Amino acid sequence: MLETPWRSFKTATWLGWQIESNWTQPLLFALYSIVKPLAVAGILVVLYGLVTGGNFSSPMFAYMYLGNAFYTYVGAVMTGMAYAAAEDRERYQTLRSIYVAPVDIRFYLAGRGVARFVTASVTVAITIAVGIIFFHLPIRFWAVRWPLFLITLATGVVMLAMMGLMLSGFALLLPETSWSVGEGVAGALYLFSGAIFPIDVLPRVLRPIGFAMPITYWLELLRRSLMGSAPGIETFPRLSDLDLLGILVSLTLLLSAAALFIFHSCDNMARERGLIDRTSGH
Amino acid sequence: MGREFAVETEHLGRIYRTREKKTEKKTLIALDDVTLEVRRGELFGLLGPNGAGKTTLIKILTTLLSPTSGVARVAGYDVSREAQHVRPLINMVSGGESSGYGLLTVRENLWMFAQFYGISSAEANRRIADLLETFKIADRKNTKSSQLSTGLRQKMNIARGFITDPQVLFLDEPTLGLDVGASRDVRAFVRRWINEDRTEDAARTLLLTTHYMVEADELCDRVAIINDGRVLACDTPARLKQRLQSDSIFRLETTPLDGLGAQQIAAIPGVRKVACHAGDGRARVELILEQEQVIGAVIAAMEANRISLLSLTKHQPTLEDVFVELVGRSMEEVEVTDEPALT
Amino acid sequence: MSPHLHKDVGWRLFIRTVLGRAYPRVFGYAREPVKLLIDVALPLIALFAYVFVYRAIHAPEVFIGYVILGGAMSAYWINVLWGMSSQFFWERQIGNLALYVMAPSSLMAILLGMAIGGIVIATMRAAVIVLLGAWFFHIKFMVRSIPMVGLVFLLTVTALYAMGMMFASLFLLFGREARHFVELSQEPAYLLTGTYFPIKSLNFWVASAASLIPLTLGLDAMRQLVFASGGASGMTMGFLSPKIECASLLVLSVVFLVGAHQSLKHMERLAVAEGKLTETHA
Repeated sequence: MLETPWRSFKTATWLGWQIESNWTQPLLFALYSIVKPLAVAGILVVLYGLVTGGNFSSPMFAYMYLGNAFYTYVGAVMTGMAYAAAEDRERYQTLRSIYVAPVDIRFYLAGRGVARFVTASVTVAITIAVGIIFFHLPIRFWAVRWPLFLITLATGVVMLAMMGLMLSGFALLLPETSWSVGEGVAGALYLFSGAIFPIDVLPRVLRPIGFAMPITYWLELLRRSLMGSAPGIETFPRLSDLDLLGILVSLTLLLSAAALFIFHSCDNMARERGLIDRTSGH
Repeated sequence: MGREFAVETEHLGRIYRTREKKTEKKTLIALDDVTLEVRRGELFGLLGPNGAGKTTLIKILTTLLSPTSGVARVAGYDVSREAQHVRPLINMVSGGESSGYGLLTVRENLWMFAQFYGISSAEANRRIADLLETFKIADRKNTKSSQLSTGLRQKMNIARGFITDPQVLFLDEPTLGLDVGASRDVRAFVRRWINEDRTEDAARTLLLTTHYMVEADELCDRVAIINDGRVLACDTPARLKQRLQSDSIFRLETTPLDGLGAQQIAAIPGVRKVACHAGDGRARVELILEQEQVIGAVIAAMEANRISLLSLTKHQPTLEDVFVELVGRSMEEVEVTDEPALT
Repeated sequence: MSPHLHKDVGWRLFIRTVLGRAYPRVFGYAREPVKLLIDVALPLIALFAYVFVYRAIHAPEVFIGYVILGGAMSAYWINVLWGMSSQFFWERQIGNLALYVMAPSSLMAILLGMAIGGIVIATMRAAVIVLLGAWFFHIKFMVRSIPMVGLVFLLTVTALYAMGMMFASLFLLFGREARHFVELSQEPAYLLTGTYFPIKSLNFWVASAASLIPLTLGLDAMRQLVFASGGASGMTMGFLSPKIECASLLVLSVVFLVGAHQSLKHMERLAVAEGKLTETHA
């Protein structure tokens, strides 16, 4: 029963890695994996430094920097999965072959997303290392709450994969948007997820969007687990770590159910309209 | 400059250098000493298997690729040094093309390409309407090209080739993806288009590449047979086939040729050429014999090896037989077994 | 069919080609409302995140205007990257490039058509960003000189798209690296050009080097002209005077246009010699 999903997932993860790393020399590949996210971090560092006069020891800086670093995963996985659907259909024209084969397409797409998660992990680690070395982020290896961190990260992989699956469904159904929907949605969620500023900065009417998203709790837990007992800004000061974890897991389960349903619907509609093997020229 | 010929090549060559491994460069000879002349008003065919060099030759003649040796001229202009004079006079359609933009309709895609040739919108739309009627896709003129099937898309591509009324048109495997009826329509149109009453100065020429023998035989005034980058023969289909008129050509279908290979059959006195294909538990053998009686010896050799004869036909020579006679193998065999000429 | 078909040559052919190539961009895009929505609305939401970062760190209100203006102009940058620089690469993939080279019209006309089509779409996006951003965040514009703003805008767009035309030829020779190079160029360019903060806050030499990207000086000049006297805060955040920046943009426009013409000729010669006009790369 698990053989097909596992085979689909394993092969797709391998394929995703081959695609991501296959276009130039390894050293250049490493550079490209680092420069882009560090540039985003750099934007935040410059604008923060400009306004606060370089007060990088403030908890607000750590909040912003870490949130942005981990948000790299969101873009990588969500964009990666939606992009995989677009690429396989339009550029490589292999999607039709995958559908015809005894492959579980959901696990296939998840595998492509996980390949992006792996490459993004290098990026996140380097971004945080830069933050510790150059901006003295208050993260101490011995003070990190590793069990909480790892459980949160693992839950996040599932959560992001489900979000990516949902977007992949839209990408299948709407060829004209398939190239940009992943990046666009990831960019938009940046506003609501409390990644780079506390949610209470948003107008009151927009805050419920942030509270309804599992990404918000995921980022909060990652910050808390890394910062240990160092002073920090907490988005949910009255909620304990266990409360947050419970909310994260519950929302992830709800999201998973919704994602599977939405993907299933989009997949059916795409097949009905003959979109699986049609190149749109976009 | 020779204006008598629409297309001329003199000792044309094209070599590709590929890097298979970091330290190893390989040279691929795509064209080797090709000399051809295509007269104005002629429908000229280039016949050969996949990888023979047909598309490379077309790319050079359409100014997309420069030769590494020799000269090529189209309408009297050198394709390398006078490309800007060649381009207004030519157009090209390839089989399996996916050009254009998926979000534009058939009409819009054709209109856009017409603009690149300086054709007014009114004239372009009139020509588009005529061509879509001719190719029986007028009802799809407002359909986005991304929603067309492969065959309909190819029809649109073919229309794109004719819309600019070129002096020299290059069709590279144009009927790829078309059904039998559509292919027939295209061939009929091509003939009409070439023969349309025109002054000598405005004569139209068409160069067609194909690996469908029937297409070359039916359509072309002259055919050049090409393999491994070299032109092996060039003449009218009738005269090419006449080379084999004195020979007897047989097609046999047998049980698998265990114990009796093509070399052993070729060694039988009187067998000029033999080509064997295996598939579906049977073997197909094509023979060119100096005399009809030699067939007896071939059958006897088969019986000695316990190979049963399932069917036997004798037929008039086709261009495929001409190919076998020139190359020593059928086109199918060449495609399956040959690597391009590498040094 | 008429045996004698009149075909325009010279400047008439040039104009026809420009209009013909601009057509798919403008009209094709307009008939995909979902794509339009995603390409305009989602990046706008992502842009607002930077506004709230400034609010979270209590920055002067003029910085919000800087972000909105930067976001509006970045629409042109994105279009130059994806719609110009890497466009020939995509055109080769689908088989159009060979047809363009083979046609009697010039490739400059094709590129100009692409540029004009791109400018129309980008202007629409930029206008939406400015209007909605100004309304949502109550931004006050204090325009010093409308003709000067118009001139700076025109020169910036001209120089940007001339750069895009130059890169279109160069990127064709990169192959698959083109996509990744374009991806790499997006966020680092936002950092170096001061899309979300005044470029003056960077080191002088970094800002000077970044001035080679027309967006840098164009944005800086427009901010000085549109938020005269630094808004209510009175901060002067200009890198160079608008007049010097204007002159520099003019020089960049000329340099890039000449560069585009030369690199196009070189690209075509090289591509024809090496047979790269019809190659496709995975």
